[in-house]
Amino acid sequence: MADASRQRQRDVAVLGGAETEIVPEDLRSIPEMVLEAVAGALDDAAVQWEDVDAIVTASVDLFDGLTASSIAVTEVVGAVLKPETRIAADGMAAAIHAVHQIAAGAYGTVLVVAHGKASMAPHWDLTEWAMDPVYLQPLGVDFLTVAGLQANLIADSNRVGRCASLGDGACAVVLSSSVPSGAAVITGTGHDLDAHYPGDRDLSTWSGLQRAAGRAYEQAGVRDPATAFAVAEPSCMFPHEEGLFVEATAIGKNTPLSPSGGLMEGTAPIVSGLTRLLAAARAIEGNPGRRALAHGAWGPAGQGHAVAIVEAT
Amino acid sequence: MNAVAVIGTGQTNHAKARPDVTQPELIREAVDAALVDAGLTADDIDAVVMSNMEMFEGRALPELWVAEGAYGTGKPVFKIATGGTSGTSACIAGFHQAGSGAFDTVLVVGFEKHSEGHTQTGMALVDPFWDRAVASGALGNFALSISQYMAERGVTEEHAAQVAVKARRNAANNPHAHLQMPDLTIDDVLKSRMLAEPLHLLDMCPQSDGAAAIVVASGDTARKRGPKAAWVHAAATRHDQPYLGDLDRRLITTRALRSAAASAYAQAGITDPLRDFDIAEIYEPASYAELAWYEALEFCDDGEARRLIDDGVTSMDGELPVNPSGGVLSTNPVGASGVIRVAEASLQLLGRAGDRQVAGAKTALATGYGVYAWSDVIVLRSEMP
Repeated sequence: MADASRQRQRDVAVLGGAETEIVPEDLRSIPEMVLEAVAGALDDAAVQWEDVDAIVTASVDLFDGLTASSIAVTEVVGAVLKPETRIAADGMAAAIHAVHQIAAGAYGTVLVVAHGKASMAPHWDLTEWAMDPVYLQPLGVDFLTVAGLQANLIADSNRVGRCASLGDGACAVVLSSSVPSGAAVITGTGHDLDAHYPGDRDLSTWSGLQRAAGRAYEQAGVRDPATAFAVAEPSCMFPHEEGLFVEATAIGKNTPLSPSGGLMEGTAPIVSGLTRLLAAARAIEGNPGRRALAHGAWGPAGQGHAVAIVEAT
Repeated sequence: MNAVAVIGTGQTNHAKARPDVTQPELIREAVDAALVDAGLTADDIDAVVMSNMEMFEGRALPELWVAEGAYGTGKPVFKIATGGTSGTSACIAGFHQAGSGAFDTVLVVGFEKHSEGHTQTGMALVDPFWDRAVASGALGNFALSISQYMAERGVTEEHAAQVAVKARRNAANNPHAHLQMPDLTIDDVLKSRMLAEPLHLLDMCPQSDGAAAIVVASGDTARKRGPKAAWVHAAATRHDQPYLGDLDRRLITTRALRSAAASAYAQAGITDPLRDFDIAEIYEPASYAELAWYEALEFCDDGEARRLIDDGVTSMDGELPVNPSGGVLSTNPVGASGVIRVAEASLQLLGRAGDRQVAGAKTALATGYGVYAWSDVIVLRSEMP
């Protein structure tokens, strides 16, 4: 797979970002909520609407109760008569796609937006509709039950009840090929989708994250993950996932996890990974040479993973 | 944008229903065909981009379940979902991934299995405050804007019926096509059931089960493999305001498609589209839409589309054959339809289009269209950029 002659991806700056406060129910409409994050991100990044060449959004139709749900936010993400690409996965996957767009030379500055409202429907019930409809869905299997299986396998089962509280939120991040001095830059990315059926996976590990992190390390030139990072910002929805994260990324026991607080106090579906990218960039900004690892996950028990390495300049 | 090329394509046989296969099995058919066409194995693929409109099957995140049909397990995979442009936007995402330096080969696969869901229900789930009650689904949308378009541009039901006939007759040369009707006549179209004035049944695309895949290679990888490739010379995508009242006279202005075309043509150096393109695969969900696209894509001046169809300019033996495959009017698995456009345009440049081949095609156009909200325009050539 790896080709030695392959060009190194160009560095992409995290110019700025913003997120809404995660609340159990945000009474604003989806576009009103998203506008707060987008306006905040443009302000934080010190860019104007016209500076944005393209937009990548992340959302899932069934979670939003809308078909092509990014249509709901066209105007508030500034996508009218601009390129907009919509990824149906965690916001970190959308950020990685924006990095690829910039690295390919297609666009200079890309706005990445993720939004989700857990209040609109019982979230875990909806995830049943993301399980294979032949063998798993008829049994009532959803993301929560697969996470429970995983927790029982590797940890004290009574901890399963402690799940990150799900609410409503939006996050927006501005990425750019022009790197202001002192900016945090993304030097490596990787994503991965593991097998769907719990029986086809080794649920005692996050092997998909291991592959995703490996791809990111290769691009970023990270040789010793145990000492490489000043901070790691994982997307862990359950306590048992922290151990899986540390093992799969090989960041060791000394790398601080989620000094910003992490997801346990509240997060929104689809939004989590993008908030981790923002937290990781903020944690190292102004400390040249420092690296941080940001992580997003989606699907049952971490079937999908996305990783970005952020480095301060 | 960095150079990338399409080096292989594959499709299922598209049909009203494919009860013989599950969604992953349907995908596997297209992917296996694309890998064979590219001369690659699944291990050679670095990343996968999928495209599907999950509400049409009533699912969430179906790629979690079906990606193994695309040999996606353990690979970088995600899905693009942008209505009718899902497929072309997924192809463009594949171009960007292969051009980024991160991957050498990217597999793009689109699929839809309309027979396992209810498409009209899916299409009805638009903005709940304003548009859901009045602008749900394709038919109502098109009937409104087509009536305006006919009045302003002098297009008649007979002009549209000619497009419908051309599509289904072309499809008879395409073994993958869903509706193959070699003997269809204008009279048949005009006598088919009225769905919503002025749209007859045969003016509209079908709902199909099907999947399509392309293999995209980075420029270096494509060059190393040999001369035959469909090179990407331009890719442009545009989004527009969604609300019925905000979109000024939709089919007449088609500003998202016009904006995307202007960008793509500038990137690829297209100055006279009718002459510069040898073949076009455009996303026409309704017969009238194809006529409007002729104008938006600058094949002719506004108001001249009826002349193009009357004179056979866009038929198989005309100056610019449009949709030799039979187009969306003959085959429409929504998540795959955009991939099919790019695959068919690439097949023409690779000289592998069989009975629907346009002799000597060197420059091809592929477009995607998602009910007024999105437009994609892609220019491919047999020559490297």
